[in-house]
Amino acid sequence: MAIIVSIRNATKDYRLGKVLVPALRGVSLEVNSGEFLSIAGPSGSGKTTLLNLIGCVDTPTSGTVEVAGRNTAELGERALTRLRLYTIGFIFQSFNLVGVLDVFRNVELPLLLQRTLSSKERAERVHSLLDRVGLKEYSDHRPSELSGGQRQRVAIARALVTRPQLVLADEPTANLDSVTGQNILDLMRELNHADGTTFIFSTHDARVMSYANAVIRLADGKLSDTSDGGRATDAEVAELGHVSAGASQP
Amino acid sequence: MSSFFLDLRIALLSLFEHKRRTFLLGAAVATVTALLVLLNGLSAGIRQTLIETATTISTGHLNVGGFFKVTAGRGSPIVTDYQKVVEVVKREVPELDFSVPRGRGWGKIVSDSGSTQAGIGGIEIEHERDFKRIVQLSSGNFEDLAQPNTILLFESQIKKLQVKIGDAVTISAQTPRGVANTVDCRVVAIAKDIGLLSQWNVFVSSDSLRSLYQLRPDVTGAIHLHLHPKALKDLPRLAARLRTSLEHAGYRLMEPDPKPFFMKFQSVAREDWTGQKLDVTTWEDELSFMMWTLKALDGLTFILMLILMGIVVTGIMNTMWIAIRERTKEIGTLRAMGMQRGSVVRMFFLESLLLGIFGGVTGVTLGVSLAALLNAAHIHVPLTVQIFLMSDTLHLAVLPTAMLSALLLVAVVTGAASLFPSLRAARLKPVDAMSHFG
Repeated sequence: MAIIVSIRNATKDYRLGKVLVPALRGVSLEVNSGEFLSIAGPSGSGKTTLLNLIGCVDTPTSGTVEVAGRNTAELGERALTRLRLYTIGFIFQSFNLVGVLDVFRNVELPLLLQRTLSSKERAERVHSLLDRVGLKEYSDHRPSELSGGQRQRVAIARALVTRPQLVLADEPTANLDSVTGQNILDLMRELNHADGTTFIFSTHDARVMSYANAVIRLADGKLSDTSDGGRATDAEVAELGHVSAGASQP
Repeated sequence: MSSFFLDLRIALLSLFEHKRRTFLLGAAVATVTALLVLLNGLSAGIRQTLIETATTISTGHLNVGGFFKVTAGRGSPIVTDYQKVVEVVKREVPELDFSVPRGRGWGKIVSDSGSTQAGIGGIEIEHERDFKRIVQLSSGNFEDLAQPNTILLFESQIKKLQVKIGDAVTISAQTPRGVANTVDCRVVAIAKDIGLLSQWNVFVSSDSLRSLYQLRPDVTGAIHLHLHPKALKDLPRLAARLRTSLEHAGYRLMEPDPKPFFMKFQSVAREDWTGQKLDVTTWEDELSFMMWTLKALDGLTFILMLILMGIVVTGIMNTMWIAIRERTKEIGTLRAMGMQRGSVVRMFFLESLLLGIFGGVTGVTLGVSLAALLNAAHIHVPLTVQIFLMSDTLHLAVLPTAMLSALLLVAVVTGAASLFPSLRAARLKPVDAMSHFG
């Protein structure tokens, strides 16, 4: 299986006044295409920082991050933006939809940025995705007219509309009730199975991480000391409350 | 929909989304634009009135005047055999609309009760096209000025001389030969004051002036040339061309000197020549002694425009800072999704530009309407202002170019004011922008 993300000894430090705060301390990780991977860990463990590095919205202090075979340190701002546009989809904890655009336009937005499809092709793809996430009837609604679960579905459709190789979701269910959260995870996993899109999502919720095919655990900016590059074993996952069927290990 | 139209759509919707902010800022932009239009209208109105009044009373757009020197030390402001000069002008200046001969003189007007010094214009009233429109009579009539030994005085002079229609005044002056001479004239017309120029100008029939100065019928003071409006943009070039044409026709020309004729007596007297020399001047040369009023007005307009623009830039920039601060998270999201920095800047620039255009169009409409109302109201201005305004009422001339420039200026300045804050926002790392609160 092809490696979509490869991180070697990545560190990330933040400066808070005169104090240097290490958020990641030498993380190395490889993620295969098609994985449904969860990054688990308590608050402040470095989950979001790791997702930011993978998503090319931030750069490591040291070490290397390769996404889709490209070393992000060697890319300029424009190239990084293009890499994000064509390779990565984002799902945010608080949805981050554009408030002034309706559902259709929110989902269409990345396609407009790509400028590769015709108006008709874009409309077909957007409607098809809205159908898949169950929001076909809501295409002309504004985000403010939708429930939290519906907004996250719009965000998922937006993340997938460009058919990216990799979708990153930062605590995608944190702002949802448990039933809605479960529905969102079911949907994400269904899309992962159907399209083979790689999903990496962060969570500190044991029930959520049990949905993943594989889980990596972060604590204090480092991968947990396990035998397999930070990936939790089935037993460890089981300890977290649920055994994931068919977890894949690289 | 291309990404440009997406940016446009987001910009438009953002304006509608933040109705209160858009309304307040739009109103501010509209007010400033309206003020700009009014300011421009006032400036253009004064300029228009001044040019129109001055080019009717004391100068043409171009003038062919000159001096005749009997001896080297004594020159008179006259043009001999002027009809031949007129023929050359008609042949060489296709931009000419019409021309009028004007006698030029300076003398003392004496009545039973008082006296005053004045410039004496000799006119042929039947040939004056705009004179009757610009000079408003309070009593008497223009036609009587065609009769010999008649005079038109302005109201302020009437007060000083304490005369009325039908009364006689005596004009006293020195002839070109240095002999004192007088002419009695009957007051046949009294005109309303029209600013500075009416303070020292009286008009008599051309024959009366010739009689005063003992001149032949083929002599006049200057030929006032009135040109088609399009030709007014480049008068110095036209004047230079006319000088060359007159030289080619065999006339001797004075060195160009941008001064009114009455300020050239001393320099002409110092020059060692006799006979006729012609002089070509523009209306600006003839009115150079009072051009400071226009320059002061232009300077004042420029300063006020700078202040107004400063207010717009500060207001827009401040508001864009707030708008961008509110939407920094959105910018981060868009950047994370793959929007380039340039698009972020374009999005905010468009929003600001649209605001500028909406506000600008409203402002221009408001300004034009106010100008029309003010013109319709015929607002009388104080006497001191009349002197510089050359009119007793306020006149605003809102030209289409001024409206368009005000709109363009406001739209561009408004758009440009958003560039700095939006460039800074676009330069933020997506991760920093997304984690922004507030």
